[in-house]
Amino acid sequence: MREALPAHKPWFAASLWEWIFTTDHKKIGIMYGVTSTVFFIVAGLMALGMRLELFSPGAQYLKPETYNWFLTVHGAVILLWWAIGIWASFANFLIPLMIGARDVAFPRLNALGYWMFFAASVIALLTFIPGNHIMTMWTGYPPLATMQGVGFAGTTALFVFIWHLTGFASIAGAVNFITTVVAMRQPGIGFFNLNLFIHGIIAANVIQLLGVPSVAGAVTMLFLDTYLKTSFFDPARGGDPVLYQNLFWFYSHPAVYVMVLPAFGVISEVVSALARKPIFGYRSMVIAIWAIALVGFTVWTHHMFVSGIPDWVKIIMSYTTLLIAVPTGIKIFNWVATLYRSAIQYRTPMLYALGAILMFLIGGLTGIPLGIPAFDVAVHDSYFVVGHFHYVLGMAVTLSAFAGFFYWWPKITGRMYPEGLGKLSFWVVIVGSNLLYFAQLIIGIWGMPRRYYDYPPIDSWIELHQLQTYGAFILAFGILLALTALIKGAISGEKAPDNPWMSNSLEWRLPSPPPPHNFEEPPKVEEDYCPHGYCKF
Amino acid sequence: MRRLLGLLLLSAFAFAGEVNADVIARPYDLWELIYKIWLFIAVVIYAVVAIPSLYFMIKYRFKPGEREVGDQEHEGHWGLEALWTIVPLIIVLYLATHGFAIFTQMRKPPENALELKVTGFAWGWMFQYPNGKMVVASAIRDTEDKKCKPEDCYRVDGALQQYAYIPAGVPIKVLLTSQDVVHSFYVRAAGVTQDAVPGRTTYLWFQINKPGEYWVFCREYCGQWHSRMFAKLKVVPKEEFDKWLKGEVAGFENKTVKVVKAKENKAQEVVR
Ligand code: HEM
Ligand SMILES: [Cu+2]
Ligand SMILES: [Cu+2]
Repeated sequence: MREALPAHKPWFAASLWEWIFTTDHKKIGIMYGVTSTVFFIVAGLMALGMRLELFSPGAQYLKPETYNWFLTVHGAVILLWWAIGIWASFANFLIPLMIGARDVAFPRLNALGYWMFFAASVIALLTFIPGNHIMTMWTGYPPLATMQGVGFAGTTALFVFIWHLTGFASIAGAVNFITTVVAMRQPGIGFFNLNLFIHGIIAANVIQLLGVPSVAGAVTMLFLDTYLKTSFFDPARGGDPVLYQNLFWFYSHPAVYVMVLPAFGVISEVVSALARKPIFGYRSMVIAIWAIALVGFTVWTHHMFVSGIPDWVKIIMSYTTLLIAVPTGIKIFNWVATLYRSAIQYRTPMLYALGAILMFLIGGLTGIPLGIPAFDVAVHDSYFVVGHFHYVLGMAVTLSAFAGFFYWWPKITGRMYPEGLGKLSFWVVIVGSNLLYFAQLIIGIWGMPRRYYDYPPIDSWIELHQLQTYGAFILAFGILLALTALIKGAISGEKAPDNPWMSNSLEWRLPSPPPPHNFEEPPKVEEDYCPHGYCKF
Repeated sequence: MRRLLGLLLLSAFAFAGEVNADVIARPYDLWELIYKIWLFIAVVIYAVVAIPSLYFMIKYRFKPGEREVGDQEHEGHWGLEALWTIVPLIIVLYLATHGFAIFTQMRKPPENALELKVTGFAWGWMFQYPNGKMVVASAIRDTEDKKCKPEDCYRVDGALQQYAYIPAGVPIKVLLTSQDVVHSFYVRAAGVTQDAVPGRTTYLWFQINKPGEYWVFCREYCGQWHSRMFAKLKVVPKEEFDKWLKGEVAGFENKTVKVVKAKENKAQEVVR
């Protein structure tokens, strides 16, 4: 049946006009991907600026308000555009292909979602105009965030609108993806033989649907407090700043699973395909994903262990937080077991995926003590936290995204990336990242507070800051190599076969690149179909 | 760099080094305990996962003609999966419970603690001693035309930046609040952090046994000069402290610093 498909024009052959008004999930997916990646680069460059400033103590190149602006944009953009946004790209492109559908359930809502995301991007760019910088940090805690101006929040409205617009895009996406997977699967694909990537994405989108309203409400109150002088968060008039923190983290903790569950999905796809073996413990993988999504909603006050909440709340949420380590551990052990008696092909996506697993392990193990209040009181809001979330986000999520890029690149572009350059980029990235992020963990243990533009000349701190800056530039060079490999592949790579990894999953049964309407006729799903098997036909 | 190596060594022998016999600061000793337990467990878990992974990664490489396909029947094993559900569960329950016990001790100030009221403001700290004596430690800011030199940015100049005297070996209970945005009081040597939230009173306690100078930093982002919002604790023997406390009230008076008492705000529960 696969061989019978007639030669087609590829999905991306379309006029600019068609691209702008498209409702095709593949084109929208790529538009998300390009937007996310551009903002990833912007946020990365701002981080390099911060690292230069921190190379030695004292004021170097930046003013404190400039540093704070860089940091706010770095945090907000890297989280909302990259760690969350990039998965909207993967989800759009892949979900219909993986379940054998022609498009998503609500193509126009999908396009609207993207254009809201685009509008948020415009707002983010407006913050680059002098006088419009935002300095709230991505968390926007009141009362600081309600105090406009240079020394404090900058332009609060832009911060609020960024959350509203990306939140709208998230909800539109969530409604769409969930409906698509529930209603449009080919007969034969059920809950327990769905791609793990789709499980990850759908769990993430359920979180979005339940969580985004909470943060949207919080920032709306922030807006009202700032501009209409209401007093939700103003203690002098009976408000409570800690209320904001509760509403904010009720979403923003589960949001870390919005970032990481799809990454787990990508790791599972890549590992099973390139180890040429079914994923070990598929069912426990599925249960683990959904357990994480569920329990994730009961742990938010671990971000508030020193905020002045009652001690008994801290203890309860300490237990729930640590409980999440259990399903997370199951996933890691299952990946390792998948490697047993496998036949690993060390291609670029596999390197990135295996790197993501071993680095995520460090991220997870450093997350555990942050869930223990007795430990947290010494490192709360220190660089230890910065190191922890960079291991999780800057490495596990980012490496998974690059694993996904290289893995699906042949399908998306119809061409292979250059293997040597791809592998080289991995090694440079992994060396740079570990220098940067491990130094953050250690300097955090030694007390260095987070979000500091300057620091006292304590010798051990200076050393570790310099190490971080060297690591940051090595990492940036690695990312540059990876992007070069991808772009070179897309332009001048070898023609890709339909199924270069011999995966059993449905998207590989399409030609590379797929035709505009995906499947000419609905693909036949075998009775014992399993997306994570070695391709048997 | 030597410290870096030391830390790596420590992670290998987490339990070999006993808790410091003569404790410099409390509750840092308690923190060190949970830190070492965690470090030991984390290093062991990392090894338990990474060593087999690396072994499989090397052993089960794709070899043309020899090993081209993985074992298609090896799809799962309920026994193993149960094992790596239950063992981690026991470990985290242990960690949470031991952490709970330690935290309870950490939060309980000794009976004889000296009460100190500390108010955060943008950008600095105001310390109020039981007899009403006040000390202000405000951030050293750069101006448009003048930047401080690195060694001066964090100096105690005695005018805007004053030492907060602390008696050695006496437990201190700090009652915290803020008069503007949220700040966070971090006593580096003692390993404790607590937010100073406007409209609330929060607390922490610590004790430093060895005379010397110790850092306090602000750890909640509070705007432009957050990074310079520090204070220096000057820990001196008890007699010297008493003499200092009775001495002249510092000449510096900052009229803009107003202490908001938690009681004035009816909506707030005072968290103890
Ligand atoms: C070139 C690579 C990167 C460098 C050099 C870098 C560096 C930094 C630095 C210096 C900070 C500020 C620390 C502070 O002052 O508290 C920071 C914060 C942060 N970074 Fe990165 N980072 C990089 C990549 C990433 C990536 C890939 C992610 C996530 C996917 C990420 C997520 C964050 C977040 C969430 C914050 C916290 C922002 C906040 O405190 O409000 N970073 N990073
Ligand atoms: Cu969290
Ligand atoms: Cu601060």
